[in-house]
Amino acid sequence: MKVALFVPCYVDQFYPQVAIASLQLLEKLGVRAHFPKQQTCCGQPMANSGCEQDAKPVYHNFVDAFQDYDYVVGPAGSCVYHVRKHFDIIEQTPAVQHVRTNTLELFDFIINVLGITEIPGSFPHKVGLHLSCHGQRGLHQANESEMTPVRDGQLRRLLSGLQGLELTELTRNDECCGFGGTFCVSEAGISARMGQDRVQDHVRNGTQVLTGGDMSCLMHLEGIVRRQKLPVRVLHAAEILNGVIIG
Amino acid sequence: MSSREKILAAVTANQPAEVPLPTVPFFEGDASVEKFTALVQAIGGRVVEVAALAHLEEVVRQLFPADYRMASPLLSSTNVSVDAQTPLAVLADVELAVLQGEFGVAENGAIWLPEENMLHRALPMITQHLALVLSQQQLVATMHQAYARLATVGGYGTFLAGPSKTADIEQSLVIGAHGARSLTVLLVP
Amino acid sequence: MSHSERSDIFLLDAERTTWHDETLWFVREKRDKAVYATPEFQKLRQLASDIKDHTLSRLDFYLQQFEENARRNGVHVHWAADATEHNAIVLGLLRQHGATRVVKSKSMLTEECHLNPHLLANGIEVIDTDLGERIIQLREEAPSHVVLPAIHLKKEDVGDTFHKYLGTEKGNNDPQQLTETARQHLREKFLAGQVAISGVNFAVAETGTVVVCTNEGNADLGVNLAQVHIACMGMEKLIPRLSDLSVFTRILTRSATGQPITTYTSHFTRPAEGKELHIVIVDNGRTQQLGRPDFRASLKCIRCGACMNTCPVYRRSGGHSYDFTIPGPIGAILSPNIDMRKHASLPFASTLCGSCTDVCPVKIDIHTQLYKWRQVLGEAGKLPASKKWSMRLLSRVLAKPGMYSAGGKVARQALRLLPHGLTHGQGYNPWAIARELPEPPQQSFREWYAQQPQNDKA
Ligand code: SF4
Repeated sequence: MKVALFVPCYVDQFYPQVAIASLQLLEKLGVRAHFPKQQTCCGQPMANSGCEQDAKPVYHNFVDAFQDYDYVVGPAGSCVYHVRKHFDIIEQTPAVQHVRTNTLELFDFIINVLGITEIPGSFPHKVGLHLSCHGQRGLHQANESEMTPVRDGQLRRLLSGLQGLELTELTRNDECCGFGGTFCVSEAGISARMGQDRVQDHVRNGTQVLTGGDMSCLMHLEGIVRRQKLPVRVLHAAEILNGVIIG
Repeated sequence: MSSREKILAAVTANQPAEVPLPTVPFFEGDASVEKFTALVQAIGGRVVEVAALAHLEEVVRQLFPADYRMASPLLSSTNVSVDAQTPLAVLADVELAVLQGEFGVAENGAIWLPEENMLHRALPMITQHLALVLSQQQLVATMHQAYARLATVGGYGTFLAGPSKTADIEQSLVIGAHGARSLTVLLVP
Repeated sequence: MSHSERSDIFLLDAERTTWHDETLWFVREKRDKAVYATPEFQKLRQLASDIKDHTLSRLDFYLQQFEENARRNGVHVHWAADATEHNAIVLGLLRQHGATRVVKSKSMLTEECHLNPHLLANGIEVIDTDLGERIIQLREEAPSHVVLPAIHLKKEDVGDTFHKYLGTEKGNNDPQQLTETARQHLREKFLAGQVAISGVNFAVAETGTVVVCTNEGNADLGVNLAQVHIACMGMEKLIPRLSDLSVFTRILTRSATGQPITTYTSHFTRPAEGKELHIVIVDNGRTQQLGRPDFRASLKCIRCGACMNTCPVYRRSGGHSYDFTIPGPIGAILSPNIDMRKHASLPFASTLCGSCTDVCPVKIDIHTQLYKWRQVLGEAGKLPASKKWSMRLLSRVLAKPGMYSAGGKVARQALRLLPHGLTHGQGYNPWAIARELPEPPQQSFREWYAQQPQNDKA
C-alpha cells in the first residue's frame, strides 16, 4: 500500500509539528507514508472566494503530485473534502478520479482503511473535541446534531479510548467555529464572534486541551485562545494520539 | 401575450426533465386516546372525557360559566344562534362555541373541522372559547391516515390544533392570540 | 453596504448579539426535539424533496391543473409576471370592490413585492394581523425572519412601540399583556376589514385548494370575516396531491418551531356563499431561477426558517444584515437571482458549514449553492478587484511548488522578525482584530522532512 501524506499549505508553513505527528502516528500504526514535495495546496482558498477557475492549475498540480499513490492522507478534513467534492470542474481523467476517491482524512483512513478503532495509551486531561464542519457534515465522520441526539464519531471513539481522558460535554456539540477559510477575513467580525463563542463553550464546560481533526479550525481557535490568554492548550488530535503511543 | 401565457411558456422552457413522483408510504403510529390526550395538552388544550353523549350538556355547564353567550348545533341550551348569515356584531360577542370535530390526529393533537360543522366559517376563531366534541373511536395516528380519510376537504376546512397562540414577543408563548383563547376537547365514547 | 459591514453594526451590541443568538438557538433546539421524536423524519425529508423535485419538473402541467380546478371551484385565478403586476392586480381588485380597509396575514410574497407601500400610497389602509408583523409594521421595519418577523426585538422594544401607538402603559413589557392589547386592537380591524389578503403555504393542484398555516388564527379570522379573500402565492407553492400535504404538514412546523403542527392548517377550496376568493400566482424571477440548474432547487423552499435558526452567521448578524426580503442562508441563494450586484456579498456570508443543508426539511443543498453562487459572481466580475487579483496571484504561487516553498519561507521569516504591532495591525490585517497569528516555526514541514535521513527524496 503506497500512502502519501498530504500536508495542507498552512500546516506545512505554520504547524509542521502536526504533519510530523501525523507521519509518526501512521508509522506507529504500520504505515510508512511519503511526502511528495510537489504538493502545495488543495486550492480551496481560491475556490471558496469564487475563483474556482483560477484554482484549476492548483488542482492539476495536486493530482500530479498524488496520482501514483493508493491513498492520500491529510490531517485536515476541510481540504480533503474540497478535493473529493470540488475537483469536479476539471476533466475527470482516471488519475483525477483516483485521487478524488482516495484522498482521505487522517482518522477516516486510520479507522476505515486500517481498521484501527482503538489506540492504547493514556492522556489524563479534560479534552474538548472540536468537530470540523467539513469533516462532520461533509465527510460524515461524526453524527450531525441536525439528524440525531447521539453524539458519536470517529475521533470521539479514538479519543475516548484513551485512559484518563475525559471528553468535555459541550453545550453546542457541533456548532461551526467561524473560521470558514477566507470568511475569517472577509467577515472578520462574525468570524471572531463565532470563534469566541466556541471557545467560551469549551471554557465553561471545563476543557483543558482543545483538539480536533482539522488544523484550520484549530488555528483560528488557537488565535483566540492566545489573544484572550486562556488556560487552554490547543493540539491537533494527531499530536495527542502520536504522543500517547510509545514508539 | 398575456402574463399567463408568458409565465407558462417560460416554465415549460426552463423546467428540468421530468423526475418521478414518489408514493408516500403509510407511516403508522400510536392512535391511542392517551397519546392524543398528551398531545392536546402539550399544545395548550385540555381533554375532558364525557361518559356518554347524553351527559354533554351537563359537562359543558360544569366546565363553563352559565352566562356565557354560547353557540352550538349540538346543545339545546345555546343562547346565540349562528348561521352563515349571522351579522359580525353578533359573532363578535360569542364567548363559547361547542362544535363537532370529525376526527383527531394522535401525533399532533389536531382535529379536523370541516365548514359544515362550523355554523359560520369565522365562528371557531372568533369565539372566545372553543370546545370540540370528538368520538374516541375517531382517532388516527398520523397525518397520513388523516388525509387518507379525507375524500374531499370541502369548500373550507381546518385541522385545528389547540388554542390560538403566538410567541412573537421574545419567543415567550402566549395563549390566545387572535383565535379562541382556549380549546377543550370533549371526548365521547 | 456589504453583509459584513452591516453585521459589524449588529455586533457592536455584544449582549444583544448573545441574546439573539441564544433565542434562535433555543428555537433550533425545539426543532431538534421534535425531529428526534419523529423516527421517520429523514424519510419524510426525502419524500418532501422528491415531491418538490417532481413538481418543479412538471410545473407547467400542475399550474394549469391547479388553475382549472380552482376555476371550477368558483375561484378567480390571476397571473402576475412580476411584483408590479401583482400589486396592480391586488389594487385593482380592491378598487373593484370599493375597499379601503384591508387585513393581511403573513405573506413573504407580498413583502417581496412591497405590496404594503403600494397600497398605502393609493389610500388603502392595510393592517398586518400577525402579531410579529403588526409590531414591525408599527415600527416601519422589515421582517428579520420568515417565521418570526420580530425576532430582532426585545420585549422592551415591543413595550415601547405599543406604548407609543396603542396606548399601553409605559414600561409594560409583559408579553401576555402586550399580546392581549394587540388582540383587542386587531379585533376591531378584523371586524372592519373589507378584504383579507393571505399568503399561501401550499397549493394543491388536484383540488385547486390553497392551504394556509398559522398559529394565531389571524388568516382564518381575517378571511372568514371579510367579503373578499385574495391569496397571493409564488408559483413554487404547488404540490400535486392532497395526500402530499401529509408529508409537508408533518415537517413544516417541526422544522420551524418544534411544534407538531400549526394551530390552524386551513384548506380554502371554495369561497363562502356570496363571497369571493381570488388567487394571484406570481413569477417575479422564479421562472428564471427554474432555468438555472445549479440553483433551481432553491424553489423547493417551504419557508420554515430552520436554516435561519441554525445558521451561526444569521444568529449573530440578524436578519436585517442581509438586506433582502428572505434573510439567512436561503435568502443568500435566492437574492443573487434577483439582483447580482446588490446582493453580491450574501453568498459569502457563510462559512459553508452545511448546517442549513442538514436542517432543511426539503433537502435543499443550500451550502453547495452558496459555493456555486460565489463562482458565478466571480465569473461575472462581481467580486472586489482586490480579492480577484490576490486569488489569481495565490493560484500562480500554489501551482508552482518551487515558488510556494520560497514564498512560504519569506513570509514566515517576515512574521517572525517583524514587530507584533506591525504584523497584527488592525487596519490591514482583519485576522488580528480578535486573534493572534500562529507563531511561525523555524522550519516548515517540508524543510524538516528533507532533513530526515531515512526519507527518500520523492
Ligand atoms: S431553505 Fe429549507 S430550511 Fe430554509 S426556510 Fe426554506 S425550507 Fe426551511
